[in-house]
Amino acid sequence: MRLELNVVHITKVQFAGVTAVRNGVLSVNRQELRALVKKDTRLTDVDIELANPGDQCRIVNVADVIEPRARTANSGPDFPGAVGMQGTAGHGSTCVLRGAAVLINDYDIGGRRYQRPDEGIIDMWGPGAEIGPYGRTCNVIVLALPADGTSIDDYCVALKIAGLKTAVYLAKAGADLAPDQVEIYDIPSIRETAADMPELPRVTYIFQVFTNQRVPLPGDSVLYGHHIEKIVPTILHPNEVFDGAVMDPYRGYAATYLIQNHPMIKELYQNHGKHLYFVGVIISNAPNNAPEYERTANVAANLAKWILGADGAVLTKIGGGAPELTMARTAQRCEELGIKTALALMHQGIDASEITLKASTIFSNVPQVDAMVSMGASTASPMLTLPPAEKVVGALDGSRIGVEIRRPASDIKGSFSQLGDSRLVAVRY
Amino acid sequence: MTSKPLRVVHYLNQFFGGLGGEEQAHRGPQIIDGPMGPGRVIQSRLAEKGEVVATAVCGDDYVGEKMEAAADEIVQLIRRYDPDIVIAGPAFEAGRYGVACGAVCKKVQETLGIPAVTGMYGENPGVDLFHKDVYIVQTGDSVKTMNEAITKMVNLAMKRVAGHKIGKPAEDGYFPRGILVNEKSERSGAERVVTMLLDKLNGRPFEPEVLQPTHYPVSPAPRIKDMGSATIALVTDGGLVPAGNPDGIESKNATRFGGYGFKGIDCLAADDYDVNHSGYATVFARQNPNRLIPVDAMREIERERGIGKLHERFYSTTGVATRLEMSRKMGQAIAAELKSEGVSGAILTST
Repeated sequence: MRLELNVVHITKVQFAGVTAVRNGVLSVNRQELRALVKKDTRLTDVDIELANPGDQCRIVNVADVIEPRARTANSGPDFPGAVGMQGTAGHGSTCVLRGAAVLINDYDIGGRRYQRPDEGIIDMWGPGAEIGPYGRTCNVIVLALPADGTSIDDYCVALKIAGLKTAVYLAKAGADLAPDQVEIYDIPSIRETAADMPELPRVTYIFQVFTNQRVPLPGDSVLYGHHIEKIVPTILHPNEVFDGAVMDPYRGYAATYLIQNHPMIKELYQNHGKHLYFVGVIISNAPNNAPEYERTANVAANLAKWILGADGAVLTKIGGGAPELTMARTAQRCEELGIKTALALMHQGIDASEITLKASTIFSNVPQVDAMVSMGASTASPMLTLPPAEKVVGALDGSRIGVEIRRPASDIKGSFSQLGDSRLVAVRY
Repeated sequence: MTSKPLRVVHYLNQFFGGLGGEEQAHRGPQIIDGPMGPGRVIQSRLAEKGEVVATAVCGDDYVGEKMEAAADEIVQLIRRYDPDIVIAGPAFEAGRYGVACGAVCKKVQETLGIPAVTGMYGENPGVDLFHKDVYIVQTGDSVKTMNEAITKMVNLAMKRVAGHKIGKPAEDGYFPRGILVNEKSERSGAERVVTMLLDKLNGRPFEPEVLQPTHYPVSPAPRIKDMGSATIALVTDGGLVPAGNPDGIESKNATRFGGYGFKGIDCLAADDYDVNHSGYATVFARQNPNRLIPVDAMREIERERGIGKLHERFYSTTGVATRLEMSRKMGQAIAAELKSEGVSGAILTST
């Protein structure tokens, strides 16, 4: 499967009469975009706001972040199953407005249902912008409230679709431009590749997308328009994962933007053909009970061994303790089948009083699961003082959150990441 | 720039301080001018940068029997010499000596407001007791490693007095002090984990960044012989709190728990409670708190004489990313309260 990403760099976003991209500036016709979002009758009071890096602007209650992307002609539908018709992501070409992002914002309505309110903070300047990636993107913020008679669940589903539609709408403005950069992602079928590189170790990536610690949002688009809360592990081509087939579950632990720029998949791609042969991605959920996570671990390990013929697997988790158990058990089953594993995790439950030199984590001891990389510990998250903002976007009462606030760094959207881009390492002193 | 030589006071036990062996372990504290025994090695390492101005000596049993008071006496002797830093030991594997070194160093820091450094072997109980309060240099188990141990202790002492940033435990050779810091790596997690996998696949050595946890075994209490006369309590880490969360229990990484009475109540009412927990969807527990603390079901069993009595007070904390040592601490405190309240068994519900 071969995919070209036609990358157009964006350095600024502004309102203007016509939606267009010129010299790195993304112009947005506010009325036109509002009208597009308003077409969904589940939403009311629709508005669009903009925020550029350096603005003294605080955005709160960010439910998801999406990179503007549009499929070019003949490449297939946009976000298949969610925005467009069913189809296949990951082949042909896609226009990417890199440096721009669409934020969806559910005030504290979705927050009350799916998380605590006022999490998901993005500061466009100051200390918040330094530790969170989305203070450095040019952001288009979609704001809406539920229309009369719309349930909170339906409102959240509609809002996410609105964000995805906005991402497509914006990227279409760049689709006819000569890209600043073309990235090619090409891994043919296993049959062809196996003949090409027989001596390289075959490596798969086992990617947890949803944790059943959370109640799934009914109707939420996570994989080709459907939720995956009951999924049996399945195999996807890496291109599908980051080209619109997979989205972050509503108010999830990552962000759709992060999956679109999946750091682990990118890293495996960079090593593909040189040090390893990337045989595909196994996606799974992280069940909340033992029989189901045993099932998930067995099926994932069996796919890696008997279908992909993997020699090695990297694993990540999404969320906290229960996902860690699923990840560890899956790695253990892989090791039992002779597949070497390495895990990257944000660890927790650490016994800080231990005198060992490295931080541990909580899951049960599995001697073979010995290759673990730290992506930081949430308990070591420092408290941040965020200065008062000139402008607050996305709070019912901006005065409460626009003042100087003190929050754990983990409240900044994207400051902790479990998909591989984190540079944090938990160290004992 | 030349600076004034450091004034160092050294602490030794009766054996290294030349008073004698085990039979002298009861001796009280004394202090003499200048270095002695291992202090001479300290002096040679310090060279012209500092001077061991005095050596405080005390018997291990004397400190062991009344640790606080003895440490205080020793510190009062040390105070007269107006030191910049106190170095104690090294105690190697000697348990009572290690505990004494730790206690003296801690007291010096608290009372005199100056840094103190000691050294021990990993198995020394003094490490467990004092590593959070005191920089303890990691030494071998016997005097054979004296020179090496003192070199590390003096280096660390110099750094501390100068106010220099102390390196990582492995760099400066001390036991981790229970502080966890997220540092920035040059390479992303993805780069590091793929490299680690390739090393593992190719049989090259690799250095894990996360260790397997040490789980301390918990021996189960003997079973309850007669449930019909047992008092049973309900305990949860699901974050159930009375409305308004009066004890301010944290929504994650909790350090507190609460005990909440429900005398004469047959079923917990949703309006009276809240769920403060960031690790799961709390909607269902909010709708009906009995899903977390099943008072309704337990009352039924109580009426049917399935248990003697339901303890009319439940205990609750929030189990999300909670540190193990904190879980242990809260667990012990909850168990102690239950025991003092005459509870014979507890049902723990988790989320």
